Amino acid sequence: MTRMEADVVPAAPAKPRELGPPIVEICNVEKRFGSNHVLRDVSLTVRRGEVVVIAGRSGSGKSTLLRCIDHLETIEGGTIHACGELMGYRQDSMGKKTELSDRRVARQRRNMGMVFQSFNLFPHLNVLRNITISPVKIMGEDPARAEAHARELLERVGLPDKAEAYPSQLSGGQQQRVAIARALAMRPQVMLFDEPTSALDPEMISEVLDVMIDLSRQGMTMIVVTHEMGFARAAADRVLMMADGVIVEDAPPEEFFTNPQSEHTRLFLSKIL
Amino acid sequence: MSWSWDHFMRFLFSDYMLHGVWTTIWLSIVAMVLGCSLGVVVAFMKMSKTWILRQIANAYIWVWRGTPLLVQMVIIYTVLPKVGIRLGVVESAIVALSLHEAAYFAEIVRSGVLSVNRGQKDASRALGMTWAQRMRYVIIPQATRVIIPPLGNQFNLMIKTTSLASVISMEELFRRTQQLAQLEFKVLEAYMCAACWYLLMTTVWGLIQKQLEAHYDKPFGPVSDSSEKKSDPVLSGQAAQV
Repeated sequence: MTRMEADVVPAAPAKPRELGPPIVEICNVEKRFGSNHVLRDVSLTVRRGEVVVIAGRSGSGKSTLLRCIDHLETIEGGTIHACGELMGYRQDSMGKKTELSDRRVARQRRNMGMVFQSFNLFPHLNVLRNITISPVKIMGEDPARAEAHARELLERVGLPDKAEAYPSQLSGGQQQRVAIARALAMRPQVMLFDEPTSALDPEMISEVLDVMIDLSRQGMTMIVVTHEMGFARAAADRVLMMADGVIVEDAPPEEFFTNPQSEHTRLFLSKIL
Repeated sequence: MSWSWDHFMRFLFSDYMLHGVWTTIWLSIVAMVLGCSLGVVVAFMKMSKTWILRQIANAYIWVWRGTPLLVQMVIIYTVLPKVGIRLGVVESAIVALSLHEAAYFAEIVRSGVLSVNRGQKDASRALGMTWAQRMRYVIIPQATRVIIPPLGNQFNLMIKTTSLASVISMEELFRRTQQLAQLEFKVLEAYMCAACWYLLMTTVWGLIQKQLEAHYDKPFGPVSDSSEKKSDPVLSGQAAQV
């Protein structure tokens, strides 16, 4: 990545933000894939309304960490609390954890929205159905109300005229914006973004980032795994650097970019800027 | 032996023959519906997390795909009564055809489900769907598109395979043909007539299958090329040169 991302998005506004109580609390999380130790004693607290950007080389564990928050991956040690619940597990009085049933985890996930690198829209459903399927079929929302909400969300992501289109008829940037609308339709308390722009053509990246910046200004709690440092500058409260399964830097953007403490961050910044 | 158009035409539309055609049609449909239903069960057993269910499914597929249907049918009709399970001709034919079909259809369903992109599972889980909801709203509808073509082929095969039920004296199209041929000594005419009826049935099914495939393909539409492209300018540059 040689391009300057900063020119894609507007300059950082001074944003005095009021942060709420912790909404995601990650404590001493351990994760292994076989002999590969992906997360080593990772702890992180995100407060309501906060925007946290996680950067790092591929294989540093940043996507895995994000997936663990939504319990798309199991964890071997530690705990993750999100929206007041212990994610994915039940803990007995001795502190021993047992994985929750599929049904219980599904309910927990409804508090969070997730956006993926590869969009993962449902190709057999049109845009409107993609957005309303979970509210209507899973949450039991009134179809007419869900549709009105979906159209409102499409308006917000700048695609009011694409409601009837199928995903295969949309560009990558449009698909990702629909995916964001789909996640928002569940009225999540936290939004998780897993490299939302990495699969996009350069000219489509900004249209997705604009939507995300807009979302952050409306006070959404966001955890964003990305290499788009322009976004970090414009919207993040904190920027984290991960390397080899450890968070090596956790600083406000101005400090992250001007006075990085970790060698990993300095190396990363020298390559990307 | 000379060919007689007269006999051929008479056989073709005789009540006796038409009744055989009708038997072949309903036998195919019943065996297919039962076989596919059981096949779905076996497929999900094979994809289950439980070891014993997987092994049962494996054993089932191993046995029923590894032995000839003809042998299975004769065993069900003639050997089972010796251990106290007495099935009539029709029941035996239905049981044998559907159990046999299930073994093949299980593998078709399994590969259909496995063909659905992993990201679809992630997305549906992240939207708070339970296993059953993921299957119903996301995985099965997409797998269906992959399953329909081989399912159609299986039904085509089934129409023709029902002729094996003649060995246990099921009065379907082929057995009626045999009897007609022996009765009137017009062997060629009778069998040509049967061939025409089988061909007609499989042709009509082929047309139906085409409609089904088109229906399930519709939403997937022409893929716009921008949606699949990677962001790496070097890679897409190379792709453009190739």
